[in-house]
Amino acid sequence: MNAKANKNHVTSIEPAYYQAITEAIRKEAAKILKDETVVGVVGYLPGRRKGTASPALVTTVEEAEKLIFSPACVNNLSVYLTKAKKGVLKQGKVGIVAKGCDMRALAGLMTESQLQREDLFIIGVVCPGVYGFGVERTGTLTDANIARKCRECTVHMPEGADVAAGTHTELADLTPEEAQELARIEAMPQAERWAFWKEHFSRCIRCMACRQVCPFCYCEQCLCDKNRPQAVENSPRPAGNMAWHLVRAMHLAGRCGGCAECERVCPMDIPLNLLNRRMAQELKELYDFEAGLTPVDKGPLNEYKENDDQSFIK
Amino acid sequence: MSRIGVFVCHCGENISRTVDVEQVAKAAGEIPGVAFSCDYKYMCSDPGQTLLKKAVAEHKLDGVLVAACSPRMHEKTFRKAAEAAGLNPYLCEMANIREHCSWVHEDRDMATAKAKDIVKLMVERVRKGKSLAPITVPVTKRALVIGGGIAGIQAALDIADAGHKVVLVEREPSIGGHMAQLSETFPTLDCSQCIMTPKMVDVANHPNITLFTYSEIEKVDGYIGNFQVTVKHKARSVDESKCTGCGICMTKCPKKKIPNEFDQGHGMRPAIYVPFPQAVPNTPVIDRENCTMFQSGKCGVCAKVCGPGAVDYEQQDTFTVEDVGAIVVATGFKLYTIDRKPEGSPIQGYGEFGYGTIPDIIDGMTFERLASASGPTGGKILRPSDGKEPKQVVFIQCVGSRAREKGISYCSKVCCMYTAKHTMLYHHKVHDGQAYVFFMDARTPGKGYDEFWRRAVEEEEAVYIRGMVSRMYQRGDKIVVMGSDIQVGVQVEIEADLVVLATAVQPQDGADLLAQKLGISYDKYNFYSEAHAKLKPVECATAGIYLAGACQGPKDIPDTVSQASAAAAKVMTLFAKDKLERDPVVAKVNEKYCVGCFACKKVCAYGAIEEKEIRDRQGNLVKKVAYVNPGVCGGCGTCQATCPSKSIELDGYTDEQIMAMIEAL
Repeated sequence: MNAKANKNHVTSIEPAYYQAITEAIRKEAAKILKDETVVGVVGYLPGRRKGTASPALVTTVEEAEKLIFSPACVNNLSVYLTKAKKGVLKQGKVGIVAKGCDMRALAGLMTESQLQREDLFIIGVVCPGVYGFGVERTGTLTDANIARKCRECTVHMPEGADVAAGTHTELADLTPEEAQELARIEAMPQAERWAFWKEHFSRCIRCMACRQVCPFCYCEQCLCDKNRPQAVENSPRPAGNMAWHLVRAMHLAGRCGGCAECERVCPMDIPLNLLNRRMAQELKELYDFEAGLTPVDKGPLNEYKENDDQSFIK
Repeated sequence: MSRIGVFVCHCGENISRTVDVEQVAKAAGEIPGVAFSCDYKYMCSDPGQTLLKKAVAEHKLDGVLVAACSPRMHEKTFRKAAEAAGLNPYLCEMANIREHCSWVHEDRDMATAKAKDIVKLMVERVRKGKSLAPITVPVTKRALVIGGGIAGIQAALDIADAGHKVVLVEREPSIGGHMAQLSETFPTLDCSQCIMTPKMVDVANHPNITLFTYSEIEKVDGYIGNFQVTVKHKARSVDESKCTGCGICMTKCPKKKIPNEFDQGHGMRPAIYVPFPQAVPNTPVIDRENCTMFQSGKCGVCAKVCGPGAVDYEQQDTFTVEDVGAIVVATGFKLYTIDRKPEGSPIQGYGEFGYGTIPDIIDGMTFERLASASGPTGGKILRPSDGKEPKQVVFIQCVGSRAREKGISYCSKVCCMYTAKHTMLYHHKVHDGQAYVFFMDARTPGKGYDEFWRRAVEEEEAVYIRGMVSRMYQRGDKIVVMGSDIQVGVQVEIEADLVVLATAVQPQDGADLLAQKLGISYDKYNFYSEAHAKLKPVECATAGIYLAGACQGPKDIPDTVSQASAAAAKVMTLFAKDKLERDPVVAKVNEKYCVGCFACKKVCAYGAIEEKEIRDRQGNLVKKVAYVNPGVCGGCGTCQATCPSKSIELDGYTDEQIMAMIEAL
């Protein structure tokens, strides 16, 4: 059966579609709060400005009725379970609204013993895409304002969720900008590629937003903040910047689910997701592994197999 | 400020030949924090160690660095000396300027500069080093012996006689191994079975030995003194506790034409069988691949005739976990299959010899069976093709061995002697026959060995032709052997009735897989590697695992028995103490920063990492963190490298030490 033929391709996604998802989320959230399946639901509430959305933890049925889902719901909420609202999991089971890309983070966190599946009630969103940044962020989602990651999304269906909100719809004929950019960088001579990243990293101001927003950067003490011994210089200077970004990329290899939140929050517009995707590509080629599709016992980098590729040993 | 002493060793001329040791000592003396430095010809000698001890006292040293050979060689020596001088032994480190420097470089100036660098960074490691206390772990005084040939039997008997429990695991249905197959043994020509079978019976009757035949090693966990070994007991289809060994099942089995492995395929056996009449245990197994009952579900004769009802077609493989403190590996050898290139092997075959296609070209072990009184011919030398007595027999030595172009460069050690023995056995049985031997050299080091060989040549009329054979082919019922005699410088052509190839000794199939389970190293031929070729020929680099017999390299019976007893002695030494002192180079978790991702647990090869719950005073779970069991930790550092937040440190190799070393460069 041709999967492509079943897809529901359109040229724009009207707000009404998101409204339907919103209704479904509200209904589900109210239900699980009411019957005390969960102690709270992590979702999105309308932002202060019109057309925006902000992450929120709702604990009552009344609040649940205010939850929304719109193209402005860009955040990966899984980060709230391991960092910002970590304490809530101690109170009991928690509901969470998750897009496909957020689901990959949740699966990864389960792999790494940070979350237990039975502690979560996952309201999966059949997400057609969210807004990009630096674009018109109101109204209909089109080719012009969709996020780069959504252009090449492979996880529209939130596999493994408890319930799914929405029906299957996605935008048609989108140019895979990120893949093209990745191929362009890959084709560069090494020196040029080095210069490309050096230029990007030299602009880094070490605000650490990429770390704070990443669901996988859950260490309580980041090794890059350690000063005895100091592995990574922590002032924004080229050598330390380079070290930080390489450590970040390496630590995400085989783990990053591709939510691209790091790139979204970067105030200096460093294309961080390109690095993440490059590492993911490596894992796919070497071990045929894609992070976060389902919780696993061990990722390929934590495991030795006799048939592992050893061509790197020269 | 630290007060470190640096002691630079000449190692006779091993180091000083390429490294200017005086300059290295002088440069070391200028490193801040180094209070004393000197050089000496043999640091490990008694005067050298005295020098070190005196310097510690005189200069009030708080750390010692010996720049000499590999720590694997003398770290213990110098740590002991440092301890005697009142220092914590773990504040003594070694800078390897021999293996890592003088032995691998030729340029004196550059080697000296490198030696200075090595010393400089190791000084930093000593500076950041910490006092450590040794860890004591209990020792399970029970040994595992893998392989029930003469090596395994000897090791098991010696350990058991010393009063310790032994588990002997053998892959085949009976113990005995290759020695049980041999006819008579050099250099005394005593009957192999006559000296072997009593030992086999001793094993079966020994109160301290648990014998598992038809079993294999599935998994090995743990470490020296505390191994947990999972043994797979293959389904025998015969209940060992019920079987009386009467053998009626074997006589009644309708399927009797299966080539007998024990006779190298030259005799026949039924589908339910014991490999040979003297087998221990005398309990048959069903060869399920050849059994009609298993293949078509119809037959069941053996079950019907079995009085005690021991035959059980439903039997499944079972597993037991054995707790042992030491392991002796004695898996033995196999003979090189020379007709074709084994798949995935760098070793070439000898297709030109026609082995496998010409039935009267056989290997040495087959000849042993033909010459054996218990063999398929009842001890008569009869050739396989037509059962006639061969009147001209050609023996070819070094088939596979010492043939670099064919892939094996080593000498198989036993072939010279057993070929000489074969010519004698042949001469004794076929008085009018003539034996020819093609050989490169006759290697006969061993007590009575050269005399034995001379006897074959001078008294038993074997004709030795120095030279190799290039090709063999069938002509009528004869085999034409084309070779050269390099002493006379002529081509030789012999019409032989039978050709016996002394094929190379190779490790058993699956030797590499077992090594991976045990965590021991092996060479490119899959022979197991000893810890030191001269001084630790019995030990493996992995503590608590010892080697015996041909699994380590080709060996004859006396050498095998000696090594087996040596391995047993090592096991007894280990078992002499109740507690074992272990190096405290183990990982420790910083519980404050550990976030419990347990990546360390996933990568730990020793199973040393557990999950630990941290609770507050009210008993509420705060978090789960990793905990390293110091008794189990092997100190490999994989967890340290894996930990994303660097919350694990390996004592003696802390991040602080490593970073200081890098920065010193």
